[in-house]
Amino acid sequence: MKKQLSAAAKRKRLQHFFIHAGIILFAGACVYPLLRILTVSLRPGDKLFSTDLSLIPAGATFVSYARLLGDTMFLRWLWNSLIITLATSFIGVSLASTAAYAFSRFRFPGKKAGMILLLSSQMIPAGMLILPLFLMIMKLKLMNTYLGMIIAYSVSSLPFSIWILKGYYDTIPRSLEEAALVDGTSQVGAFWRIILPLSTPALSIAFLFNFTTAWNEYLVARVVLFSSKQYTWTLGLFELQGQYITQWGMFAAGSMLVTIPVLCVFLYSSKWLISGLTLGSVKG
Amino acid sequence: MEILKSIYEVAWFILLIAGGVAVLEGYLYSHFKFYRKPLFEVSALIVFPLLGLLALKTFGLAAPGSYSWLAVSEVLILLFFRFAVKGRHTVPFMLLAPAFVGLALLLVYPFVFEVYLSFHDLKLTTIMMWKNTGTLPFAGISQYVKVFTTSPLSEITFWALLGRTLVWTFSNVFFHVTGGFILALMLNNQIRFKGIYRTLLVIPWAMPQVVAVLAMRGEFHATNGFVNIIITKLLDTLPFLGSLGVAPVQWLSDYPLLTCTLINVWLGIPFMMVVILGGLQSISSSYYDAADIDGASYLQKLRYITLPLIRPVLMPAVTLGTVWTFNNINVIYLVTGQAGGTEQADILVSALYKAAFTYNRYSYSAAFAIVVFAMLFFFSVFYLKTFDAAKDER
Amino acid sequence: MTKRNFDKRYSAILPLGLCLFIPLLFSLSACSRPVPDDSKKIVVWEQEDAQVAPYIDSVFQAFKKLPENAGIEITRTHYQTEDLRSQFQAASLAGVPPDLLLGPSDTAGLYAVSGFIMPLDGHFDFSRYNAPVVEAITLDGHSWGVPVSNGNHLMMFYNKKLVKSPPGTTDELFAYCAGPAKALKLDRCIAFDMGEPFWLMPWLGAFGGWPMAGKKPTLDTRAMRDTVNFYLELKYDKKYVPMECDYNCMDSLFKENKAAFIINGDWAISGYQKHFKKDFGLCIIPRLSRTGRYPSPMVSGKYFMVSAGAKPEKMALLKRLLEFYTSKENQVRQYQVLTRLPALKAAGSAPEITSDEVSRISLDQILKGRPMPMATEMRAVWDSARNYLGMATTRKLDVDTAVRKMQENAEKKIEEMNE
Repeated sequence: MKKQLSAAAKRKRLQHFFIHAGIILFAGACVYPLLRILTVSLRPGDKLFSTDLSLIPAGATFVSYARLLGDTMFLRWLWNSLIITLATSFIGVSLASTAAYAFSRFRFPGKKAGMILLLSSQMIPAGMLILPLFLMIMKLKLMNTYLGMIIAYSVSSLPFSIWILKGYYDTIPRSLEEAALVDGTSQVGAFWRIILPLSTPALSIAFLFNFTTAWNEYLVARVVLFSSKQYTWTLGLFELQGQYITQWGMFAAGSMLVTIPVLCVFLYSSKWLISGLTLGSVKG
Repeated sequence: MEILKSIYEVAWFILLIAGGVAVLEGYLYSHFKFYRKPLFEVSALIVFPLLGLLALKTFGLAAPGSYSWLAVSEVLILLFFRFAVKGRHTVPFMLLAPAFVGLALLLVYPFVFEVYLSFHDLKLTTIMMWKNTGTLPFAGISQYVKVFTTSPLSEITFWALLGRTLVWTFSNVFFHVTGGFILALMLNNQIRFKGIYRTLLVIPWAMPQVVAVLAMRGEFHATNGFVNIIITKLLDTLPFLGSLGVAPVQWLSDYPLLTCTLINVWLGIPFMMVVILGGLQSISSSYYDAADIDGASYLQKLRYITLPLIRPVLMPAVTLGTVWTFNNINVIYLVTGQAGGTEQADILVSALYKAAFTYNRYSYSAAFAIVVFAMLFFFSVFYLKTFDAAKDER
Repeated sequence: MTKRNFDKRYSAILPLGLCLFIPLLFSLSACSRPVPDDSKKIVVWEQEDAQVAPYIDSVFQAFKKLPENAGIEITRTHYQTEDLRSQFQAASLAGVPPDLLLGPSDTAGLYAVSGFIMPLDGHFDFSRYNAPVVEAITLDGHSWGVPVSNGNHLMMFYNKKLVKSPPGTTDELFAYCAGPAKALKLDRCIAFDMGEPFWLMPWLGAFGGWPMAGKKPTLDTRAMRDTVNFYLELKYDKKYVPMECDYNCMDSLFKENKAAFIINGDWAISGYQKHFKKDFGLCIIPRLSRTGRYPSPMVSGKYFMVSAGAKPEKMALLKRLLEFYTSKENQVRQYQVLTRLPALKAAGSAPEITSDEVSRISLDQILKGRPMPMATEMRAVWDSARNYLGMATTRKLDVDTAVRKMQENAEKKIEEMNE
């Protein structure tokens, strides 16, 4: 009996060893380019590529960071991006979570058409929208304001958020809500108190998606914003890029700095990516 | 101070949007609730167009005749609620309304605009006329004919380009899903450093795409790139690989499309991984426990429990992933567009942008975009149909 | 059952919400609208390299300080090359273009044909500027921009640590590459961007060709074949140039002392001066020994273009600004800050410029160059040349076929564009 157990434990350990090894290999492939960018940001002399493979370059210096923070409005741009992104994610996830509930729990005419309509909003090649978007922004006098951008960003992430949330809601057994409804809770209350807490993984995926999309968005921002004070970091960073010469040191430093908030959000979201309640116990 | 101002501004915007949503819901609710009351219909006919006019005025969009347009549409809406909706399905429609009105606001105008362009002739030589008079020569379907009969690229035909695009799309999506699935399965174990691993693995998604692609492109450089250096090192230690045809490669000039695909796969795996990881959370462990008792193997559990149960979450990600990859040109532009502009890695959409932006063939590219739209549309309808069929079977 | 619950809960809130929000909504959206601009504002869009921005701003500042310009506001917005083109076209079509564009001449033809910029013949005296730089912005007999600098041309830079005296001919250059460069174990002897046709043009000129004659592409020529063969020889037989190398790659090779020479534009002068200090070397691209001709880089400059949408009452102000920007003092200062040669004839003879060796060499190179064609047809030439040059230099097509197709394809694109 004892021997058997230890064999199982051994197998488990071996299995974990391979899992760790596999993940570390993949993680290496993911981290390495970021480290190369770090190298560029530390390298003196604005070179994007180098024949030198060492990660800490000769004569490493933080001068690019100092110049980025000192000579440009980079912090301001980061801040602008941050508030736009947070507002977008908040609105996007709220709208999506309720709309997905309708798709998941109700039968109504036009349901399938509605789902496909959502998808089809992603099918026009984005670059073709520049001209009509520009005309629209001008007509609505939304240039240089964040309102248009917030609406555009939260709406354009909706299809994915709604679909993913609907898929997730579908896996939650109806019996849970029905029990609550019998207890006298309203449908909205059941949604709020049962469905939402159970779908934190999907909600956090939707949030992460909204966040990264809005954070890295360029096209709409380019059309809407003209004054550098109001720029998001994407526009700001491209101030450093000219026809031939780009200030790669500062560009890389900026890229490092904008990656950090996103990684923080991902790290923080770990908690929410795990389902809040073990479905198994309730399902029984 | 400026920071406070921007917080204040954005807070107002959120309230404004919330207000808009509330107004919309109230408007719909009153129609759902009182569709049978004549008094409501009369007052609605007066009040709502007036409010609409007020809204148009504040945005400076009011034109003579706006009021009658609004009144006519209000009549139609009232009739629709009276005879078609009849107060049914109140909850789902009201839940969906904000999302769909938002989408309509954002996309109806651009879509109509593109359709208009595609049936007219806007190009370098007519752009001045359009700017000065606002009218364009009508072209019928000739732009669409051109889309299928001429090629936007010099070396290959439209159909070959379509084939290349399909290969690009499916290979990318396939590797995104497989890679993401493997990683998610590995991460879904009870292992240490899980949070850290997950954070490291999403770096390609979290990094600004431009920089991520440029960095990866550097790694594929013929002499200084990491990939070729590794290949050389491998050849030194394992010389027999050389006889199998393994050798350092001029990635960017000899295999541009393959290079783009490899980079795009690298970029897209983390997203799928996160989605699938979320999906795995929805599977109750009781299924696995039951399967363990029956003595099912790991692969059997994967095949009969995991795969079917994450399908509802995976399916939207795959469908949308396909649409996005089909339309994704960032990687292709950044990898080849600057390295001597090779056309060998162009897909439909990147070729479309060249026509639109290099040669100002707006109408041709609008027709092209509509064709791309139609292809994707039929693909997803078809795909969803088969998905539904599979679901019924289960 | 569920529906009634929902109704009950919301029947009270909804009317209240409606009463509250509608007035709020309108009052808010009314005050969030920006103020319309007035005639004292000038909007400038540019696509310059980042280190140029402070200079531009300093000139604008000085202009605003002049007593007659009190209360004038100038907004400068930076765009990337591709963005500037699409945004300027969209803004022009939407009727809200910027007043001025600052950039090279290569998109000017497009704007001119589209009617987005206005011809400036009556407004400025173009005889005050150097003739070739004006020719590069002349299309159909009109001048479409005010030149602010002369050049934008390719030259040869060398590293004095590695090269003692610059070569005068390609034979001397190759002798260096075969001898001392090998001894120094340099990665490559000469770094340049073989994929970009802009770098092809000097050599094409040296072989006696030129990509355009009037508005017709002339790519399928003996000279083009010779030039492409010359490229192949450099790349595969002599191995003097890197195998696969774009702008950033060649720049790094040169800066890291791994290539002795680089062919790069005048925009790179100040960067290399800073990087190499006393080892900075500049010379004209050496004479091609085989034909005895000097390579002829394309010469243009940077220009201010005036949007066709600029209001007539603003023209006097815009004219004042542009004349101030290209005044003799500012042209000299521009050379001192950015090492860009003045477009103004009077500034070219200023002692600050003639006494400087770099400017002498740069000017010498300009004299060997030819103006860049402004016609929109040039876009098709660039595109087609880039594609087939890439095919030929990676040996996917033989030279004859590549050159023939280059011509055919350029003609096809032009026809599609102008049909």
